[in-house]
Amino acid sequence: MTGFDFDGFGEKLLRKFAGRTSRRSMLTRLGATIVAAPVFPLLPVSRANAAKPERSAEAKTGFARNAQTKDDTKCDYWRYCAIDGFLCSCCGGGVSSCPPGAEPSPVSWVGTCINPDDGKAYLMAYRDCCGKPSCGQCNCDNTDRETQLYVPQLNNDVIWCFGTKSMEYHCSTGVLVGKAQ
Amino acid sequence: MTGFDARGTDATMTIPHSRRRSAAPRALLALLGSAALTSPVAAQPAATPAPVLESEEAFVHKLPAASPHWSYIRGGFDSGGTRIFNGDTGKMLGMINTSKWSDLGLDPTGKFHYVSETIWTKVLRGTRQDLVAVYDPVTLDLVAEIPMPGRLLIGSRINNFVISDDGKTGYIYNLSPASSVNVVDFAKRKFVQTVELPGCASLLPNPGVGFSALCGDGTLATVALSGKTPTVTHTAPFFSATNDPIFDNFAYNRGTSEATFVSYTGLIYQAKIAATPVVAAPWSIQAAAGLRVGETKPLDINWLPGGRQPMALHRATGRLYVLMHKGEYWSHKDPGTEIWVVDLAARKVVRRVPLKKPAENIEVTQDDKPLLFINGDEDATRVLDATSYEQKFDIEHAGGGLIAVAGAR
Repeated sequence: MTGFDFDGFGEKLLRKFAGRTSRRSMLTRLGATIVAAPVFPLLPVSRANAAKPERSAEAKTGFARNAQTKDDTKCDYWRYCAIDGFLCSCCGGGVSSCPPGAEPSPVSWVGTCINPDDGKAYLMAYRDCCGKPSCGQCNCDNTDRETQLYVPQLNNDVIWCFGTKSMEYHCSTGVLVGKAQ
Repeated sequence: MTGFDARGTDATMTIPHSRRRSAAPRALLALLGSAALTSPVAAQPAATPAPVLESEEAFVHKLPAASPHWSYIRGGFDSGGTRIFNGDTGKMLGMINTSKWSDLGLDPTGKFHYVSETIWTKVLRGTRQDLVAVYDPVTLDLVAEIPMPGRLLIGSRINNFVISDDGKTGYIYNLSPASSVNVVDFAKRKFVQTVELPGCASLLPNPGVGFSALCGDGTLATVALSGKTPTVTHTAPFFSATNDPIFDNFAYNRGTSEATFVSYTGLIYQAKIAATPVVAAPWSIQAAAGLRVGETKPLDINWLPGGRQPMALHRATGRLYVLMHKGEYWSHKDPGTEIWVVDLAARKVVRRVPLKKPAENIEVTQDDKPLLFINGDEDATRVLDATSYEQKFDIEHAGGGLIAVAGAR
């Protein structure tokens, strides 16, 4: 949002992936994805630390002004500010854990959500749980700072089941990565 | 089924063809006979006996000659199948086999339908196979499969699979999660090459050059394919991919090689696509309607573009139909409650059309008596006259997904 500059980190990230990765080998590509996975959601943190976004009520998005911290099975739960899909917390899983038998994707899209309890912004990694049909429960589509496919890590329509045994989409979680400021 | 001899029908499975023809009428006669015994109507003396129904041969339809008023409507979230409807009658004519998360490509020359898709040997397990399936547009039969290295699985994107103007080349976006584009020769039905395209997606055919794409650094990339190796060039940055992104479901006019982009706040960018694309300075859709321009700041309620397929372009008249809603910035997926009709040449909103129900997707036919198709979550597709804006009828259960028409992309 205002003053919060994600600009460039996506491309940098993708250039890194592209540079490391041989197009000729699917195994290598998957390997790079998996190895890079822990790095993926952490990269925005340094950028977020560099930025000093305004957190006054006037600067908050509509979602942030109305978010709650009690019920993680509702679309307005604060961590879900950019989630799209079925909440794993309604599907036998949790806010950051997959339902039984589903496989967490090692990569994710990311968001920055404000916790109404402390007013601070946190980096979220939205990890899809994969390998089962669509859960079909608690469908949400929140779009804070959600952008288009040319910045894929900020796009919540992508089936983020890369590097999993099955790319079938089941549900989505919001894993708290850390404080953004 | 009283009076129907099941053993008799079994027998028809093995008897010679000539006998099978006579067996079916016999079975029908048996049916009619049983009805005569029980029906009070049959008890009255019949002036003329009812004619014996002719036996039938099962067959498979072919599509009639295509009409510009046909629309190709995708099922909703994660559902496959693209239904073909006649927009004049609302009647379903057939279905294209668009599997889950696939992308439909209508050949600009009309010779084939293409489906860029991903299937696994054990449905959604096993070995992954990415391919372009080629269908006959009259029989809708599968005629070829063209294997390729990979593609992105995503819903509701119209520019991840684009076809060159001559219908000979397909460009398929891939994210693995490195981003690249597969080039497929449709004339030879062969995969040609993968072009690395870091930080870019959302493709445009670039006639005689290759293709172009929008990039996260706010530029338009152009990939020239004429040399031994592809060359990638970029325009100067002209938009902010994070502070006021352009909808990646933009419109492209093959006749003029012009792209029309709309941003979250309502800026309209027009670009001439060529070896060196030229992007004109943007202008505000709200200002074109005599209203204040859209802003990114919170608490600012304004009319904003939104939805999944939020705009449609009638190429011949340069009319852009945009789904608009009232909301704050970051409400870019909200369905439209009005259609704003923009005269691109005059830079004026010439009509605002309130909708009875909000809509997420919009497309317009490309003939001189155009129809608008709009749909959303509710599974029905609404058909409107694109000049009088009269709502003609709803097509129930048409599907709530992307809408395609011939000649639009």
